[in-house]
Amino acid sequence: MPNQKHVHIKDVTRRFQVNGNTITALDSVSLDIAEGEFVTIVGASGCGKSTLLRLGAGLDTGHNGNIEHAGKVVKGPSLDRGIVFQEPRLFPWLTVERNVALGLQNSGFTKDEKRQLVTDQIELVGLAGFEKAYPHQLSGGMAQRAGIARGLVNRPDVLFLDEPFGALDAITKARLQGELQDIWAREQITMILVTHDVDEAVYLGDRVVVMSPRPGRIKEIVPVNLPHPRERTSNQLAHIRNHVLEVLESTTATSKARPVQAKPGPQKRRTTAAVSAVPIALNAKANRQTLYSSTEI
Amino acid sequence: MTFSADTVSSASVKSRSGKKFFTARRARRTAVALFLPVSLTLLWWIASDRGWLPEQILPSPAYVYSTMIEMIGSGEILYHAGVSLRRVVIGFIFGALAGLALGMGMGLSRRVDDYVRPLFLAFAQIPTLGWIPLLMLIFGIGETLKIIVIAKGALVPMAMNTAAGIRAVPADFVEVGHALRFSRWQTLRLIVLPGAAPAIFTGIRYGLTHSWTALVGVELLASSEGLGYLLVWGRQMFWLDVVMVAMITIGLIGFAMDKSLDASENYLQRWKKEGAD
Repeated sequence: MPNQKHVHIKDVTRRFQVNGNTITALDSVSLDIAEGEFVTIVGASGCGKSTLLRLGAGLDTGHNGNIEHAGKVVKGPSLDRGIVFQEPRLFPWLTVERNVALGLQNSGFTKDEKRQLVTDQIELVGLAGFEKAYPHQLSGGMAQRAGIARGLVNRPDVLFLDEPFGALDAITKARLQGELQDIWAREQITMILVTHDVDEAVYLGDRVVVMSPRPGRIKEIVPVNLPHPRERTSNQLAHIRNHVLEVLESTTATSKARPVQAKPGPQKRRTTAAVSAVPIALNAKANRQTLYSSTEI
Repeated sequence: MTFSADTVSSASVKSRSGKKFFTARRARRTAVALFLPVSLTLLWWIASDRGWLPEQILPSPAYVYSTMIEMIGSGEILYHAGVSLRRVVIGFIFGALAGLALGMGMGLSRRVDDYVRPLFLAFAQIPTLGWIPLLMLIFGIGETLKIIVIAKGALVPMAMNTAAGIRAVPADFVEVGHALRFSRWQTLRLIVLPGAAPAIFTGIRYGLTHSWTALVGVELLASSEGLGYLLVWGRQMFWLDVVMVAMITIGLIGFAMDKSLDASENYLQRWKKEGAD
């Protein structure tokens, strides 16, 4: 029986100070994720989904409430928790191989084990033959594969993915979604994926967490009780997708009707390019394309 | 460097096809680069041949050439160039290291930057030669003065570029290091310094150029050997051929230093482009 509270999020609230205003990015959010589960999180911009992911991964720790992973309080990043960002964030001065190996810098593995792990991961993500290539020689899809390999190379037991396919074209995206599902099935890693693409959320998730914005709350958790690998065109999947879309639309509708709680803060996107580490999580999605691309493929 | 940017193939294929293209291009670029120097020499030759300027002021290219051969043969040029180069190397190393340390401090710490930058900017505004009178009183006119003046020439661009380069390392990259539990030292060594390397290299190049020009300046004022001294001495003796030989040597050495730094920069940053090897 797998641990039902492998990742345990309890009453988590996260507030940011932006231009003197307090913005509640997450408002007492609770979520338990079972070991080996694939959970996807969708929501409109500003719903706090990325904030939640960053808190879970330990990249952000300024919250109230409790976040535990495998029974231990999350106080910062850990090598047991991998993360894949939307941009692959590969270091341009290192080859694919050495970029992936960077993930093992602080692991306890021996040199030989490290080499083997790197080779394995590169093969797992389908980049064999490109070990010596530099990031600028890779296409967007290949670069993200390398990013996934770096996230997995430590053999974490949770992998957090922050819109990993958001910047890819539809065909590449579909292929990588399929491959991510295969990796998940094979490695039995708990995966938590944030996305703005409802198709992606429904196709990959065992459960789809729908969040509502301002303040960020969980609106509904939609189970997807279909076996993996799934048929993209199946009727059941389409049915669930439509339901998720409805819930999502209701979240944006209510947030419009509701009195503006957070004042002008969130609308003021990226006023300066200056290093403002804090509101990144809130604003990152500002200039992204359509919110729900219901039929990408 | 500009070709085959969008195809995804293995690097070796690209560089092999790129190489051939490169040599033809390089030959043409060399020809273009030589156009102006050759034209100027020609103009110089015509000017001295027609006597546009008195011979004592503008000696003919042939005369300067023969003086140069003579001075190379006697070892005079080599001696003075050696003295100057030694000063530049020592001064540059001190200045560049100090500039690197200062630049890293300013780039990594807001507080250090706040304290240091205003004074540093004012300090940088004073031309290197402007420091010489004061420094002369403190350090005399010996080697120490020259080393300090040369070091200062390297320090300013080195510190400015290093600080700017470190600032420009994306916060996203640093966050990757955070996620991978890098220590501060690992973040510096594996992310910040490699990320700032192109800017640091620019600093090295400017620094060396500044050191070289500062050297000639300080040798003009206070020296009994070196290429700068050769200039002053030639002028006093009204040996304009010697002056021109010294000028040409200074120019050529400076050019060679910049070119070799350029080559090593390309080598170290070969991840940036395809064709270089």
